[in-house]
Amino acid sequence: METLEHADPNYTKFPARRRALRPDFAIMCGMEKTKQTLGGAPHAAPNVIELTDVRKTFRDFWLRPTVKAVDGLSLSVRKGEVFGLLGPNGSGKSTTIKMILGLLSPSGGKISLFGRPPRAAEARRRLGYLPELSYLHPFLTAQETLGYYAGLSDLPRAEAKARTRELLAMVGLSDVAKRPVGGFSKGMARRVALAAALIGKPDLLVLDEPTSGLDPISTKEVKLLVKALRAGGMTILTTSHLLADAQEICDRVMILNHGACVAEGKVSELGTSLEDFFLAKVDDAKDFTLAPFLAG
Amino acid sequence: MRAFLSVVGLELKALVRSKAALLLLVAAVAWTAAFPSLVTGDGTVAGARELDIHFSLGGVFALLVVALLASATGSLARERAEKRLQLTLVRPVGRVALILGKVVAHVVVGAVVLAVACDILAARVDLATPCRHVLAPILPSVQEEAERMYAVYLADTNTPAAVRHAPKATVLRLLANRAIDRYETVATNAVARWRFAAPGDAVRFRFTNTFEMRQDVCGVLRSGAAASVVSNTTQAVVLFPFRGESAELSFENRGTSALMFRPRRDIQVLRTADAFAWNLLRAYVVLVAVLALVVSLGLLLGACLSRPVALFVAFVTLVVGEMSPSVVEQYPDELETNLADRVGLAITRGAAAVTRPVSAASPLEALAKDECVEPASVAGLVCANLVVAPLLLALLGAALLPRKQDDLV
Ligand SMILES: Nc1ncnc2c1ncn2[C@@H]1O[C@H](COP(=O)(O)OP(=O)(O)OP(=O)(O)O)[C@@H](O)[C@H]1O
Ligand SMILES: [Mg+2]
Repeated sequence: METLEHADPNYTKFPARRRALRPDFAIMCGMEKTKQTLGGAPHAAPNVIELTDVRKTFRDFWLRPTVKAVDGLSLSVRKGEVFGLLGPNGSGKSTTIKMILGLLSPSGGKISLFGRPPRAAEARRRLGYLPELSYLHPFLTAQETLGYYAGLSDLPRAEAKARTRELLAMVGLSDVAKRPVGGFSKGMARRVALAAALIGKPDLLVLDEPTSGLDPISTKEVKLLVKALRAGGMTILTTSHLLADAQEICDRVMILNHGACVAEGKVSELGTSLEDFFLAKVDDAKDFTLAPFLAG
Repeated sequence: MRAFLSVVGLELKALVRSKAALLLLVAAVAWTAAFPSLVTGDGTVAGARELDIHFSLGGVFALLVVALLASATGSLARERAEKRLQLTLVRPVGRVALILGKVVAHVVVGAVVLAVACDILAARVDLATPCRHVLAPILPSVQEEAERMYAVYLADTNTPAAVRHAPKATVLRLLANRAIDRYETVATNAVARWRFAAPGDAVRFRFTNTFEMRQDVCGVLRSGAAASVVSNTTQAVVLFPFRGESAELSFENRGTSALMFRPRRDIQVLRTADAFAWNLLRAYVVLVAVLALVVSLGLLLGACLSRPVALFVAFVTLVVGEMSPSVVEQYPDELETNLADRVGLAITRGAAAVTRPVSAASPLEALAKDECVEPASVAGLVCANLVVAPLLLALLGAALLPRKQDDLV
């Protein structure tokens, strides 16, 4: 991150003060044996995601630049860690994720996923993705949806069936497994999409606002799930607007504003609450201008 | 393979659950079943049969072309617009497999609907009626003949300078058209001879005279030791049962005036092949292959254009493909005078050249006339339309798809 430190005057590393991690994550998830790895991902672990000076400028039909969504972003996500990409609306979180997944081509810079270009089939084989909105095929049932994505991930049929059953039970949808997802509520659809992201046994899970549309209980369950998956060795990249949750589940976070990194570091080294820190970093984000409205 | 089958399954479910497949099936059944009572032929049994076969299946095929083209074009474009495609593209499934999976699903639906229509037709026509190979006389190719005529033109000192300086390709095209329609004359008491690949069971011919009026034709057909007297009128196409004994056929004009005929159009030998049922099967296979091509084209357009634009382009392509051969055929080269005409014709000729393999693949006319849909041509058409073209179009679509991704996510 040294280069960024020089490039961006606003760039901050978190204050280096250790904070005790809650010790009971792994026990809650029934995975005591991996407990000792919880003290933060080992530094020697290879990088699963590596972005170097990545830029993305959206252009219109005549190729004139319209939006500079990502501006010289460098980051690396290590194997086995939960990395949070935070930032106000429109700061470029989803765009970054889509470039990492090979859905968008960067205008500049270099991206590698498991040491390969993002569109390599070997990289995609190890990937699970939950998009911002669930984007399900409305005519498929929940079970068929998972079966479809299991097929796309080349899972053998018997294994796909078993895993579909397990995952539907996990997201609490076993009793509606045979209903078309077109009729599902937003939160139910979100659960199906989350299960679909996990069906291919990914090594890297990319979650774009995983808890959007979920009730508080489901949100808590998603947090538990993320912790359990991490304890099982999965690497997770997530975005979220719920900063308290992000603070709870992430090992490291990066705060984006206007497509550039304004702060990055280990959550365990953060002295204050992530929310206060976030607001201090991005309080220039004037999304709402309430004063005239309230006065009028 | 599993990923490919998943895509096929998804697309089939989409077609079935959107009721598109059901609607197509109902429309096809209704049209095929009701056709004989809707349309009456020329009063003859043979005429009614020909009309029935040609247009009941033709109607279903036209419906399938339009509906499947629209569906295939929309399929990928809609998934992209509704952003569902991104969930597929992050999986380890190739884009070619994705497009081909969708092609297969659409072709399966088309094949099933067409099979049902064929079944309904088969229930009311005689499946044992024999079909016949149609043999044309063995002649030099049209191109060879055009080249020969060109050489004669150039050797002739009276040939105008305009012809000499015109581009060779243009003159050759003109001469090729003449070669197809070139007339030969059989004077009174003269004999015209043709060679065929094999002897036949019948001869089909049409004689004319210089004045384009009806006139008696009188003469003798001979093939080996077999001979038969023919008498009828000019202008009419005549199917004359005549079992030849050699591959040679001759006609001696015993009439009072000279007769004219075009060797490439007006004389054929027919040779009994297999039953209508087999011919129907071959025609069916060709039609399904053409559907595969149409669907692949739709998917290619859907991969690289937005849905409304892709649909518009798809249907313009269909219309141009349907019409360009007849435009090219009917447009006399003499009218090619100004630049606009020349450009327009060049485009139409290009379209005709590209779509000729498909527009030439019209097995229904042959099927209706009980002419054999030749196995060799079936193999060629299946190879081109069901295998090669979808593969090439899918490769192209897969190459163009990522370029559109900035719009899709
Ligand atoms: N396909 C696109 N075409 C044009 N501009 C886009 C496109 N996608 C995103 N943008 C622009 O890029 C910027 C970053 O968008 P992005 O979706 O990455 O933000 P985000 O951080 O995910 O926001 P949110 O928290 O609201 O989801 C925004 O200004 C957005 O308008
Ligand atoms: Mg977003």
